[in-house]
Amino acid sequence: MGEANDQGETRSSGKRREWLAFLFVTAVVVPLLTIAVVVGYGFVVWMLQIFVLGPPGHGG
Amino acid sequence: MKIIAALWNTLKRPPVHISLGVIIIVSFLAGIIFWGGFNTAMEVTNTEKFCVSCHEMENNVYQELQQTVHWSNRSGVRAICSDCHVPHNWTDKIARKMQASKEVWGAIFGTIDTPEKFEAKRLELAQHEWARFKANGSQECRNCHDYDSMDWSEMSDEARRFMEPAAERGQSCVDCHKGIAHQLPQQMGSVDPLLAGLVREATSVSLDEGETYYSAKSVDLYTDAERTEQAGVLQVATEVNVLETQGESVKLEIAAWRKEKGFGRVLYEDFGQNISSAVLDKDIAQDGAMIETHQSDVVDELTGLPWGQVSVTLWAEKGAYLGNREALWETAGQTYRDACSVCHTEPAPEHFDANTWPAMFSGMVGFTNMSAPTQELVLKYLQMHSSDFVDAAH
Repeated sequence: MGEANDQGETRSSGKRREWLAFLFVTAVVVPLLTIAVVVGYGFVVWMLQIFVLGPPGHGG
Repeated sequence: MKIIAALWNTLKRPPVHISLGVIIIVSFLAGIIFWGGFNTAMEVTNTEKFCVSCHEMENNVYQELQQTVHWSNRSGVRAICSDCHVPHNWTDKIARKMQASKEVWGAIFGTIDTPEKFEAKRLELAQHEWARFKANGSQECRNCHDYDSMDWSEMSDEARRFMEPAAERGQSCVDCHKGIAHQLPQQMGSVDPLLAGLVREATSVSLDEGETYYSAKSVDLYTDAERTEQAGVLQVATEVNVLETQGESVKLEIAAWRKEKGFGRVLYEDFGQNISSAVLDKDIAQDGAMIETHQSDVVDELTGLPWGQVSVTLWAEKGAYLGNREALWETAGQTYRDACSVCHTEPAPEHFDANTWPAMFSGMVGFTNMSAPTQELVLKYLQMHSSDFVDAAH
């Protein structure tokens, strides 16, 4: 549906949308995803330590 | 949904209005800012200021740390919370940060928000840390205290005797050095269940006049039956003669030896042996009317000090005496073996003589969690089972 509308759009509104999308993804989406991945990784390791590995070991 | 769809439509096509160069530069800068911010945030959560921003930390463990060598010392190097309590390698560090979600939960719901609640939880919390230090060989200690960098010749012989074998085994520091930066849990210090049991048992021992008993704990001594004028303190496991009972008080005769140099405040078990039986106040010790002298000026050849045999009669509370010392010695022996074998093979009590044990004992007892009353009993046990009292001695 978006593609049909694109034809009628003015050049400036397309530019605006592109910049918004770009900045939103770089400044918000990717940082949040990165933090989520790190946090998730931390949680997985913590849970592994509780149930499987035991406390972090020496050089292990 | 419409916004997401529109966003997706924009994102899935090559940009028309923004040049590739701008995208690369802006993305690169955003990456730098993000990474810097991430690390800064990580470091902020590792600062002491952050740790003690909750009062649970500020009022309890932080105050205790300030009494220890890890807070101030002659070299001016100090450890902050995260030096010891946050793993330094990245994965374990992130896992520990996530684990802190439990601490956030505790802070919000007040799990340990009073000193009482904290004390009740102290043992459990300590055990978590001890398990962690056990598993990683006290890695956080060793980030600073490296076995390889220890100069044995700079150590006292005593320290070296234990540190060198520990280094060979790569032993975990906290195996021996528990309680080095915070107080030990109460359960491990002041209440010795075996000894407490004996003290309880003593409350039901009836005292017959003219019989001999042994103190199950240290008790205060008084000059009067009403127990208003304190005269000194009777040590644990000391032989006393019961002369008279009156209400809740009992009149005791303590037979002892003392040094006839100085004020003669300390009464000892036997001639020439520093096994203390009681400590008297200065004016009582000097009072000829209170102290009966049986022998005087008996010189101990080893030290050249004159000793006198005395007996003193004073009042004390009832219900603190046992008919014999066997159970006390058994408890003391058990405690001695348990506490000392954590770090090394304990020498047999008869390995040293009665006058060597106090220095030996006070050099080592700091590594144990014995309470003061237990220490007193264990030292006396060692002295009374030392080479001076055992025939098969070295």
